[in-house]
Amino acid sequence: MEPALRFVNVSKDYLADGARVSALNGVNLEIGPGQFAALVGRSGCGKSTLLNLAGAMDFPTHGEVFIGGEPTSALDDARLTALRRRRIGFIFQSFQLLGTLSVAENVETPLLLAGERNARARALAALRWVDLENLAGRMPHQLSGGQMQRVAIARALVHEPSLILADEPTGNLDSATGNLVIGVLRRVAAERGVTVVMATHSAESAAAADLTVRLRDGRVEETAAR
Amino acid sequence: MRLLLCLVSAAALGADFRLALPGYRFEFPRDHGPHEEFRTEWWYFTGNVSAGEREFGYELTFFRQAVDEEQGREGGSAWRLRQIYLTHFAVSRISGGRFHHASRLNRAGPGIAGALPGRVWNGNWSAVWKDGAIHLVASTEEFGVKLTLIPDKPPVIHGVNGVSQKAEGAGRASHYVSLTRLRTTGEITVEGKPVAVSGLSWMDHEFFTNQLTEDQTGWDWLSLQFEDSTELMLVRIRRRDGAADGFASGTMVDVRGAGRHLTAAAFTMTPGATWKSPASGAEYSVEWRIEVPGESMACSIKPALREQELVSRNRFSPTYWEGAVRAECRRDGRPVRGRGYLEMTGYAGAVQLSR
Amino acid sequence: MGWGLILWRVLLRPLRREPARAGLTVLAVALGVAVTLAIDLAGEAAAGSFRSSVETLAGEADFEITAIGGVPEETVGALARLPLDLRVRARIEAAGFAPDGGFVNILGADFLEGADEAAAPAEGGMRRGALVSAAMGVAAAGEVRVRVGERTLAWPVAGVLPATAATRGVRLVLLDIADAQESVGRLGFVDRILIRGPRGMSPEQLEEALRGSLPDGVLLQPAGASTEENRKMLRAFRWNLRILSYIALIVGGFLIYNTISVSVVRRRADIGILRALGAGRAFVLGVFLAEALAIALVGSAAGVGLGRLLAEGSVAMIAGTVNALYVGSRPGAIVLTGPAVWLAASGGVVVALVAAWAPAREAAGVAPADAMGRGRKEYRERLRAGRLFGWSAALAAAAFALARLGPVDGKPFFGYGAALLAVAAGALAAPGLTRWGVRAAQAAAVQLAGIEGLLALRSLGATTRRTSVLVAALATAVAMMASVGIMVGSFRETMIVWLGDQLKADYFLARPGRSGTFDAALADRIAGLPEVAAVDRFRMYPISFRGLPSVLASGESRVVLTSGMTRFLDGDREDALDALPSCDCVIASEPFATKHGVRAGQTVELPLAGRMVRLRVLGVFYDYGNERGMLVMDRGRMLRHLPDTALTSLAIYAKPGSDPRAAIERLLAGAEVLLASNAELRRGAVTVFDRTFAITYALELVAILVAVMGVAGALLALVIDRRRELGLLRFLGASRGQVRKVILCEAGMIGLLANGAGLVLGVALALLLVFVINKQSFGWTIQFHWPVAALVSGLTVVYAATVAAAIYPGRVAARLNPIEVMHEE
Repeated sequence: MEPALRFVNVSKDYLADGARVSALNGVNLEIGPGQFAALVGRSGCGKSTLLNLAGAMDFPTHGEVFIGGEPTSALDDARLTALRRRRIGFIFQSFQLLGTLSVAENVETPLLLAGERNARARALAALRWVDLENLAGRMPHQLSGGQMQRVAIARALVHEPSLILADEPTGNLDSATGNLVIGVLRRVAAERGVTVVMATHSAESAAAADLTVRLRDGRVEETAAR
Repeated sequence: MRLLLCLVSAAALGADFRLALPGYRFEFPRDHGPHEEFRTEWWYFTGNVSAGEREFGYELTFFRQAVDEEQGREGGSAWRLRQIYLTHFAVSRISGGRFHHASRLNRAGPGIAGALPGRVWNGNWSAVWKDGAIHLVASTEEFGVKLTLIPDKPPVIHGVNGVSQKAEGAGRASHYVSLTRLRTTGEITVEGKPVAVSGLSWMDHEFFTNQLTEDQTGWDWLSLQFEDSTELMLVRIRRRDGAADGFASGTMVDVRGAGRHLTAAAFTMTPGATWKSPASGAEYSVEWRIEVPGESMACSIKPALREQELVSRNRFSPTYWEGAVRAECRRDGRPVRGRGYLEMTGYAGAVQLSR
Repeated sequence: MGWGLILWRVLLRPLRREPARAGLTVLAVALGVAVTLAIDLAGEAAAGSFRSSVETLAGEADFEITAIGGVPEETVGALARLPLDLRVRARIEAAGFAPDGGFVNILGADFLEGADEAAAPAEGGMRRGALVSAAMGVAAAGEVRVRVGERTLAWPVAGVLPATAATRGVRLVLLDIADAQESVGRLGFVDRILIRGPRGMSPEQLEEALRGSLPDGVLLQPAGASTEENRKMLRAFRWNLRILSYIALIVGGFLIYNTISVSVVRRRADIGILRALGAGRAFVLGVFLAEALAIALVGSAAGVGLGRLLAEGSVAMIAGTVNALYVGSRPGAIVLTGPAVWLAASGGVVVALVAAWAPAREAAGVAPADAMGRGRKEYRERLRAGRLFGWSAALAAAAFALARLGPVDGKPFFGYGAALLAVAAGALAAPGLTRWGVRAAQAAAVQLAGIEGLLALRSLGATTRRTSVLVAALATAVAMMASVGIMVGSFRETMIVWLGDQLKADYFLARPGRSGTFDAALADRIAGLPEVAAVDRFRMYPISFRGLPSVLASGESRVVLTSGMTRFLDGDREDALDALPSCDCVIASEPFATKHGVRAGQTVELPLAGRMVRLRVLGVFYDYGNERGMLVMDRGRMLRHLPDTALTSLAIYAKPGSDPRAAIERLLAGAEVLLASNAELRRGAVTVFDRTFAITYALELVAILVAVMGVAGALLALVIDRRRELGLLRFLGASRGQVRKVILCEAGMIGLLANGAGLVLGVALALLLVFVINKQSFGWTIQFHWPVAALVSGLTVVYAATVAAAIYPGRVAARLNPIEVMHEE
């Protein structure tokens, strides 16, 4: 079976203040469908870069990223957008809800951007799945941190992507709430068969993952299955 | 005998104007008024007056000149240039050593300047005959006069048979009348302050059409009022070569006012010391010696002020010297003093003459 | 030094980082300042040229004496003989036409004049013939031909006048006064007497002395009084124009407010830090006022240069208006004066400081902990739309009250006060309106533009304060456009209707350029044509009435009564026209009646040819042809007082079923008059009318340009402030096009709100313009009329421009790198 996400010898360099900085260096990685993977490592080890490449938000300097078997380097901006709409959901450390939209509106945004039908019903279904259907009409600033992140999860999976990328999803949460969120993500992988790649530096969060990928200085130091 | 206007005049000699011919019979007050049938006419008022120790001389002269081209045309604009009036006005501050002069040039127009029986005016400078007296008014921003002149003697007609001949030929002459002793009172204004004055004035009134010839370039004229109540007028005309020609004349007026004509042979005028004008460069004989043998009279003439030149500001009137003079004479061996006016023209370039 | 460094760091350095946005704000101020300066300079140049070349040549004088129909020439002699040291100079002033049809000034002066002055020119004096200006194109010793009345006159050219400011480019023939009097048929009269008094005599003493010796019915005025009168007459016009020019500056003020508000929001954290480090409230206030000042100073400096350039372009337009509306003028040179620059630049600075005051004060009110604690993004707007609505209503009520007050010194101060209050009321209502409008439009926006529409509107709704300032700025510009559009459109329509009523004759005859007169014999010959039913002989004299230039005219009441259609607003038309020929009576035009407070039944006194004549006013009629106002007498009656039979124009009524054009043209052969048909004349009038208002359109354009630039700048700021959100959209699957669309939708909504609010405000302002400001300034009754086509096209253009203004910010938004903006802290 084709892995949900495959990195083949991927390197990524940035220009920072005129100097070339290597963010990723010869990364090879395969994450299968329905797997819950945790990216761990120190700040600046390349976790976010890896997630951005995995989300087709950026291109590698060398190597190739396959999303659902599709190589991303051959795609133009429009195709990448289409790929994201179809296959990828994002979750951020600071939730990144659109403050001017209600909870339901936030969740249905990816569907609406993709021009899909039945957005509201699917959004409510996604909210129900994270147990927040009763808050659909609230505005984001009326929610707690954990609720916000669950709304963000609902938004990330509303269009039924094959891959969810979460960047420090518990970073802004206390540990109890964080655990709750990790539990939801586990359920996403387990019950919906969605591949979840989560960057974290919380050992507790990483422990919940099926697979732990340890990055150091842009290289995969260790891959450990649970 | 006086200054002439020098207007550009292209018309044929004489046009339709009347000439000054012998046999003219003067009649007064009619002949104090204007004579527009003659081309040129003037009224000359000069005088020596004083306010105590302060002595003044004055000159107020109205010239009338007809413009040939405009004669004979009737109707049309009142502004047609039929008659032009030029007025010269000067005050000599003999005690103060200063000479003021101004002039005015106007067409008759709708009452701007003109001459009527009993009245000659140029703007608000005027001479008015009224109740046997002549009233002179003229002023500028710097100086002014307001004088009443009362004749002590009847008019004197110069020349012979009513004409004063100026050159060879019929009509080369003028009709010339003077009031030689005018008791004068009134005020002279200098430096903004009017001063009450009294003294003696002299009026010349002359009208003619073509009195001079081409080669006559200027003249020297003199009027004297003596303390013995007699008066003398002398004039000599200079030719282009500077010499006096034969047409000099004069009139001696006795105490009663009777004039005796003096021919050229009856007197001599000899120029003396000169004064060079810084303004025009002209050199004037400001001192003269005169002799009238028939009157047993000899005088030395000196200017009351050397600088009494009227410098022309336009091309219509010449630059000339005219000013108050003092005479020291001997008559029949006795000293006689006199005051008068001297005019010298044609020294600052030849005067362009009206023919 | 330390303060300066902090100022630099917190104030100017950030500005430098956003050159496009800072540049737009500076440019908006520059345009505002430039327009006010340009209008001031160009207005001065257009008005400064009333001293006609003929007047300028007349020379220095203290007083001048004129009379309708001429001053009896004996007056010159009488004045010359006064026991005062006066200089008295008489002038004949006339006009003719060169063989090529060009207009020629003819001036008659005494060539002997000044010959006895110390400074008399060597070349002066008596000359035969004419002195001509170089523009006549005739050499000395040649001949100059000028058609005067029905005759062509020729004079030998005695000399060419030296080129001076007065003669350059002007066709002038200078004649001796006698020649002039005879050629132009003014025997017995002169047109003007110039008096120069003696030194040290006060004007009052001189006037006293002169009055006593002048005949009745001549006008003694300080020299240049007609120029003064013309300037006075133009004051209201220039004042109105200047007010219009300030609109651009006011719109600029809104943008400064917006810019400073954005700065305050963005630097809330910085403010907190500065406060925590010991900066006082006054310093914070100063920082933001200094930012406004910096923008205003740079903008004003640029605006002065730009204004000088714009003035060049405006002067022709303003002169066109002045010519069409008032009197012939020659645009003078544009002079950049210190006071004008100072006024315009200080206008820019004051507007900027006033606009920046509120946001700067809010910044000063930020508590250190508050700012640092919550961070800049969490800053929530505090907006009390309800209270603002209350203020708005109060201002609107005050505006209504002011609109009912009368003019002050001929100027509609209160009308403009009302207009300003109305604009302020609109601005205060803008937040509530924006909030309400955004909410109301949401469903439609989602229908029309989908999620992008929703995002756009929600974002606008969340930044109501910023948005409402933009809406207010743009709405003010739109309101100005709409109001002036409605006013001009109403005026135009009113005039066209009036022309239809007024111009009943089939043909009209007048001098080219409608200046000067022609021989009445021509009218008699035309009246004798078998095709002609009637003619109305019309004559106009420029007069001075109670210190203002005006017109005295005569026409044939009987013809007007039977064939014409003059409409009256006071007095009975039939009675008045019937009585005119048999009494010393006049009818007055509406502008005349309004300016001088004259009503039917009153009497006016006019000096006519040396006599004071009392004229009874029988009625007031509508007239849109002459702003100066006009008194009309019966022709027969006027000829008794002013025997000059020459005509200014002739109306010709054809017999039914016949067209006398060919016959008239045969009679006109060689005459310097123009024959216009009814339709041609109406077309011409409308063309002149449109030219008249060209300048107002130009001013509107600038105000809208400023507002649209403001929209562009503000959207750019919005994009930068919301870059994280826009980046997030990209993560959520938005394409670049969709991001761009969000921004365009925002602009579209701003445009919609501004157009709506602007239209409402515009109608209110139009009512003020038509019924208060116009009536008080110019005295015309205008019928309100909706220029639908013009309004629709105007609003469409504004809308399109607003959306177009979002193109650049939209591009910036689409090009944002989502990864960078998401990870920025």
